[in-house]
Amino acid sequence: MKLKMKLNSLKQILYLSIFMVLPLLSFGNQQPDELYAAANSYYAKGQFLHALDNYKKILAGGTTSAGLYYNLGNASYKTGDIAAAILYYEKARKLAPNDDDIQANIRLANSKTSDKLDEAPEFFLTRWWKAVYLSASTDTFALVSIVLILAGSALLITYFFAHAVMIKKTSFYSALLLLFLGLAVIFIASRQVSYFEENRQGIIFNSPVAIKSAPSDEARNLFIIHSGTKVSIIDTKKDWIRITLTNGNEGWMRLSDLKEI
Amino acid sequence: MSQKIGKQQVFKRIKISYLLIMVLLFCSGSLSAQRVQFNASVSGNDVATGEPFRVTFAINGNGSRFTPPDFTGFQVLSGPNVSSSITSINGNTTVSNSYSYDLVAVKEGILTIGAAFIMVDDRRLNTNPIRIRVSKGQPMQQNNQQPQQQQEEMIQDNAEDLSKALFIRAEVNKTNVYQGEQILLSYRLYTRIGIVDSRVDKLPDLNGFWTEDVKNQPQQVQWRTETYKGLKYNVADVKQMILFAEHSGDIKINPFEMTFIVRVAAPARDIMEQFFGSFKDVKYAVKSIPVVVHVKPLPEAGKPAGFNGAVGKFSIQAKVDKKELKANETLNYSVKLTGSGNIKLMNTLNVNLPTDFEKFDPKITDTIKEEANGVRGSRTYSYLLIPRRQGNYTIAPLEFSYFDTSTKKYVTIATKAFAVKVNKGLVENNVTAFSDADQKDVKKLDKDIRSIKTGNAGLNKIGERFYGSQRYWLLLLSGPVFCALAFVFRNRNRKINSDVVRVKNRRAGKVAAKHLANAQKQLAAKNTAAFYEAIFKGLYGYLSDKLNLTAAELNKESIIDSLKARGISDQLITKLLETLDLCEMARYAPVTQLSEREVFEKAKGIINEIEDEIK
Repeated sequence: MKLKMKLNSLKQILYLSIFMVLPLLSFGNQQPDELYAAANSYYAKGQFLHALDNYKKILAGGTTSAGLYYNLGNASYKTGDIAAAILYYEKARKLAPNDDDIQANIRLANSKTSDKLDEAPEFFLTRWWKAVYLSASTDTFALVSIVLILAGSALLITYFFAHAVMIKKTSFYSALLLLFLGLAVIFIASRQVSYFEENRQGIIFNSPVAIKSAPSDEARNLFIIHSGTKVSIIDTKKDWIRITLTNGNEGWMRLSDLKEI
Repeated sequence: MSQKIGKQQVFKRIKISYLLIMVLLFCSGSLSAQRVQFNASVSGNDVATGEPFRVTFAINGNGSRFTPPDFTGFQVLSGPNVSSSITSINGNTTVSNSYSYDLVAVKEGILTIGAAFIMVDDRRLNTNPIRIRVSKGQPMQQNNQQPQQQQEEMIQDNAEDLSKALFIRAEVNKTNVYQGEQILLSYRLYTRIGIVDSRVDKLPDLNGFWTEDVKNQPQQVQWRTETYKGLKYNVADVKQMILFAEHSGDIKINPFEMTFIVRVAAPARDIMEQFFGSFKDVKYAVKSIPVVVHVKPLPEAGKPAGFNGAVGKFSIQAKVDKKELKANETLNYSVKLTGSGNIKLMNTLNVNLPTDFEKFDPKITDTIKEEANGVRGSRTYSYLLIPRRQGNYTIAPLEFSYFDTSTKKYVTIATKAFAVKVNKGLVENNVTAFSDADQKDVKKLDKDIRSIKTGNAGLNKIGERFYGSQRYWLLLLSGPVFCALAFVFRNRNRKINSDVVRVKNRRAGKVAAKHLANAQKQLAAKNTAAFYEAIFKGLYGYLSDKLNLTAAELNKESIIDSLKARGISDQLITKLLETLDLCEMARYAPVTQLSEREVFEKAKGIINEIEDEIK
């Protein structure tokens, strides 16, 4: 928690300095913030449709955040659109993979869908490794890596100029350790990026959707799924996609019945 | 002595009297030795079937083991009825016993009652059999059954006349009511003629009503006189009920059906009948006219949240039997609801008790009367509570809402709140192993998504990520770049420092400046000797470093040679030597030709000039 706060304050300082150095990048986002506050107050009053509209306007303005997607999901959920809620929650999870609220709401929203799918168990090492690289957002990893690398460099510089043997020794080894950790964090961040890029997923937005054995309407129906179900996209052929369910079942369906996360 | 039953009654009587006289004479002759006699007699020898008669077996003494005859062809109505009498006249005691049976002949003809036996003093006595002529049942009995047969055959020819003389009206005290309001329904019998018999054919099925029979009616129907449509009638309430409408709308009360046997005048058949009037019994079915009750729904406006359908007028009271108790002990909380209305439908109350109290279903005790003016009384709900944990609790007021039909408004009444202090219970103290069992799981009431995230939106452009951006890599690379720069810088430094001559040469000015600064300090402190020494050391030190001469080599000749070799003018060298001499001298003796300030400036000037000229 403390660490997170520290990271956040670091992040702020960093952003501040970046914005001072690169004033070109600071664009005026006054209006989306106002929309966001307005939408939140609508939500608090229970006017979920208004809230949904305002959230969507922010999205249409070209900006987003995990919090925005999360709130969009909540508003969709409250208006009864479970599929949209799941889509937004999953999008939020992509930006903030370790957020408890998002995870909890995904679980609850999934329990409201009509398809009950048992997840195929993963190999425990895969699960652990996944938990490691999904433990924070890429941006957090990026900041941590910068801090580690810069601190390592500073220690290395200290080693270059120090005279006392003791200082020289400690600064050298700790510099090596920090630099190594920094590289590891960069690697972890890259794994997360590739995980989300390689694992293309989508939410079914049509009900019912027949999953075919081949990419054509004439093919046999393998099974039927309903809106709100999450599928993984493993192949695309024109407007047909090949999907797998979390329980391992595979088949083809039309791209139009799905929205990609 | 025996008796012969003949048809000639007179002869028989004479015979009996003779015999009696003989017996009496014989008896008087032998009073002490009385003979025991056992006789049978009947109340009549000619009987009809179904006519009861009596047969008596009498003995003038004590007998034992009486054996009755076989009564085949008869039905024994009662018996044996044993009677005994003891008479004592002038010291003579006589005992007589009799056994009698009430019989009915079952079939016609001549029947015989057989002999009965009895033991007297080891002698067996018997009676003579009695013959009885049984004729067919008499016409009297048939007459008794005839009216019923006639009734069945009666024709309801004068039904129209009867409908005015005998009818039932269903009366309600209100026809416009609210749902749940009580209505009194009376079935009233109006009659102008005599009723012989009546029976209820069909009770109305009062669909759409909750009904309560009015119970305080006397067993006997009470008649009163009432004028209805100009005619006087005898009126009686046949049945009274209190109804509570269960739903709104028009509800029909179905007819109440009864059948009466009434006595109506009939045309006379003979003079006697003409004189006294004749009548016949007629069967007549009566139906009440259906009544429609308009039931209004209870108004939605102002309906309290806890309203559970009570209509009428109520009051509520509550009490607890203890204010303080130990955990796991029982507490009685009773709520008494008093009033008139649909009180019997109030099965549950919205009691709000502390959650740590274990609550059992209430025991309901009613003292409710169903009277003609409504169902009224009280219902007591006794709740048995067991507080499971110590603490100070409050039993919140119990709110009860009802619809008052007189004001047409909802009324909410409430009981008092009770403070209950629960002390530590015995179980908690002694049974430590059960302490966990005392804990309860937190109940999850409902599931909902977690609320939205407010505060800073932290919006970024879609698809933009800090990780992998240009800024990121620049920042990341700045570390190694700084390292590399630092490394290069350090290496250069090392290289420079490794050349001692150049270092010394570079350092010369600095050392001199240090000594001169010291000299200036001594000047300010007016410490002349120290001042000159500082100037001297400064100059020597400077020369030593600049010319790369050790302290041992440092003498005037070597200085002059070195300076010349480095291309310093003779004039400057002379000036330097002069100043050095002056300083050396001034350390031991006061100098007058130059002030200290001038010496300081001169020394500084010399160093600067050497720096300029030296190669």
